[in-house]
Amino acid sequence: MLRRFCLMATLLAVTLTSFAAEELVVFSGRKDKFLKPVTEAFTRQTGIKVIIHSAKSAALLNKLIAEKDRTDADVFISNDAGSLQIGADRGLFKAINASIAGQVPANYRARDNTWIGLSARARVLVVNTTVRDIGFVNSVFDLADPRLKGRLGITDSTNGSFIAGVTVYVQAVGEAKVQEWLKGIKANAEGKVFAKHSKIVKAVAMNKRAIGLVNHYYIYRYLDKYPDAPIRILLPDQGKKGMGIAWNVAGVAVSKYTNKQKQVDKFLTFLVSEAGQKMFAEVNREYPVREGVHAAAEVPALNSYRVADVPMPDLGKYRIQTIDLLDRVGMP
Amino acid sequence: MSDAITADQPSVPGGPSPAQRLLGALKSPGILAGLVVCFAVIPLGFVIVNSAGLSTSQWAGLWSNRLPELLGNTLSLALLVALFSFLFGVSSAWLVVRRKFFGRRLASWLMVLPLTIPTYVFAHIYTVMLEDDGWLAQAWVGIFGNAVAVPDIYNVAGATFVLSLAGFSYIFLLVRIALQTGSVGMEEAGRIHGFSARVVFWRINLPLLRPAIAAGLAVVVLHVLSDFGAVSMLRFQTFTLSIYLQMSGRFDYQGAAGLSLVLVLLSLSFLILERFFRRKQRYYDLGMPSRPAEARPASPLEQILIWCWIGIIATLGFILPMAWIITWSWDAWQMGQIDVEFWGYVINSVGVAISVAVITVVLALPIAFYHVRRPSLLSETSLQLSSVGFVLPGPVIALGILVFALAVFPSWYGGFTVLIMALVIRFLPLAVQAEDAALQLVTPSVEQAGRIFGAGPLENLRRVVLPMIRGGLAGAWVLVFIDAMKELPATLILRPTGFDTLPVRIWIEASEEMLELAAPSALMLVLATLPALWIMLRSSQPRHQ
Repeated sequence: MLRRFCLMATLLAVTLTSFAAEELVVFSGRKDKFLKPVTEAFTRQTGIKVIIHSAKSAALLNKLIAEKDRTDADVFISNDAGSLQIGADRGLFKAINASIAGQVPANYRARDNTWIGLSARARVLVVNTTVRDIGFVNSVFDLADPRLKGRLGITDSTNGSFIAGVTVYVQAVGEAKVQEWLKGIKANAEGKVFAKHSKIVKAVAMNKRAIGLVNHYYIYRYLDKYPDAPIRILLPDQGKKGMGIAWNVAGVAVSKYTNKQKQVDKFLTFLVSEAGQKMFAEVNREYPVREGVHAAAEVPALNSYRVADVPMPDLGKYRIQTIDLLDRVGMP
Repeated sequence: MSDAITADQPSVPGGPSPAQRLLGALKSPGILAGLVVCFAVIPLGFVIVNSAGLSTSQWAGLWSNRLPELLGNTLSLALLVALFSFLFGVSSAWLVVRRKFFGRRLASWLMVLPLTIPTYVFAHIYTVMLEDDGWLAQAWVGIFGNAVAVPDIYNVAGATFVLSLAGFSYIFLLVRIALQTGSVGMEEAGRIHGFSARVVFWRINLPLLRPAIAAGLAVVVLHVLSDFGAVSMLRFQTFTLSIYLQMSGRFDYQGAAGLSLVLVLLSLSFLILERFFRRKQRYYDLGMPSRPAEARPASPLEQILIWCWIGIIATLGFILPMAWIITWSWDAWQMGQIDVEFWGYVINSVGVAISVAVITVVLALPIAFYHVRRPSLLSETSLQLSSVGFVLPGPVIALGILVFALAVFPSWYGGFTVLIMALVIRFLPLAVQAEDAALQLVTPSVEQAGRIFGAGPLENLRRVVLPMIRGGLAGAWVLVFIDAMKELPATLILRPTGFDTLPVRIWIEASEEMLELAAPSALMLVLATLPALWIMLRSSQPRHQ
């Protein structure tokens, strides 16, 4: 049995290496379901096969760090700018060809082009439309108001989107204010935080919570299933003095050790092309980063609101500081 | 199935060199055991090297910030799960072996079937069922109204609930085998001397069952200490979860290694304590032809009570989760989401699990043999050290193996080698425990008799010892197979590029909140594990009936 298995394994390995030239290995922290349609379209167009190796971004980064030049990965895709920047800081990636990277606005990529953003998501509020007394909320900082005690939905503090959001707030308004704010929302959550954003939206829709802090697309995903749900999006921190909405981008980086530069460039060119951008963002109702490509019709138009002025690489740079802050406050 | 049978009899003669060379080396089990232990402690080496980089102040920081809470949470969880698993496992095993009631075989099955459901699936299903529109929450509101809040499982009670249901079957299995093969003669002697059934249970059965219970509890507690799925799903801060967050949030290997080291020390002291308490307990089957235990027919009232008890455990531990899985799988099937790739995942899972189980059962043998037949501080230490793989969190083992493999034999890297290595190390303690318990029951005099009749140590092993521990070997194989089927954290990191197993798919789909896609994988996991359970239940069935 064992010998047969070893034989099979060797055969498999041999087949894998012999086809290696036509294949591109993508380490992906992005949801399979959203990435697959894109890579399949790419394969149809170019004939280059794509192997998606999925796991959490952090696990894949750990693997890349340990594997060094022995890695199979040609490309790393993550849903979080912070993870991409951390990988870049660890020297795992090589700079992306400027002619490709240049198609992405400068604020959505690393300064040295070691990664580029592909699609963006907004940290917004979801509110129950039948609840009347929450009109005072027009900033995420209002979520610390004691009037929301027991009525606020947030994710647990290990959630990547939550950490990225808090990092943006710290950069925008300073750590002291954010620390006070965290204490407030911790009290309002009353120890009951949610494991997933989708559960927050559901709780708000069922009026178990009045308001929640989520990524914008979760709201539309829920409305897709239940069009009559009494929920709507609330864009916080607008107005003159508002810091704007926190953004995060999903993006792509190239392994320093890839020897398939030509295929990699083809793949990246596809991802930043209009068709690729539309496809990559639309499956998850995110905002394409390429100018002129529009997001899904139901999400608020890009130019209709203000975005916090925090460069995306900062999400990686200050991530540990944010985690320290969350630990200090003892966020659940 | 043929694979399983091969695994049953690793000693089959005629198979040329490797097996026999192995047996040859078994003449000195100490050396072989030492080799296996060296292999098993590779991840521990990784932990020690990394935590050596921690400065005193960093240790102090870890200590004051986290350790008290982590210790409290981890220990209370382990204790509570041990308690409930003992309660469920011993009671159900006793009823199944010693009472004749309607549907006894079914009851046996129902008590082991929870093993087929991974803890992260358990936790996932129960969190979903307890949501406002979930089955359980709705039933709860239907029964109690809105006055009583639906129970919250994001706490120690919830984690205990999930891990006890996922783990008690280990105790059931081991105790059941012990009850069947244990000496009925002693019980009868007790009864002849006028002891009541209760006294016989406490004074004779329970002490005789102690090795089985202790081994079962050890397996359960080790599962709790290394569990990642349930605690991460329920966000209950144990060592494992904290170590994982240290690695994934901060990329802080040193901190993670420091916490791992504390966890290892904690687990080893638990194991040593457990060994210490049954150090002087040694019971042999005295070689008399052992009769299977007589089961007393249960009265109708007893039958109802028995089924109430077993029914509750089975409903929570298997029937309810399974109903949920089947419902969602049916949806997925209807939507045509089960394609060719899906069957590939099944084959991948089974292939890996079989290989890991075969290798592990063989590697565990020298350690168990050395420990039982040459009791000494050294053999005791080998046994404890071999369990390191089980107490370290999966991601730590995976990284340790990765780093080791790349440093020591980089040309082997890639493919299945590192994955198989990590899983073998991870589940070696399961096989060691099971084989050790089986060997404990073999009286040395049988072997001595074999020797007197001129059998060499090898022949003795092959013709006397291995056949006598057949059940134990099969049990070890199945235990490892089941866990390897369900393994997630190490597989996620070490699987060859693009190679997905069922747990990996469940994880991917569940994290995408595509429940209807996770369910078919969970269903296949259960189905693919059934034959293994069947082997185990059958091999521990009394033969002469």
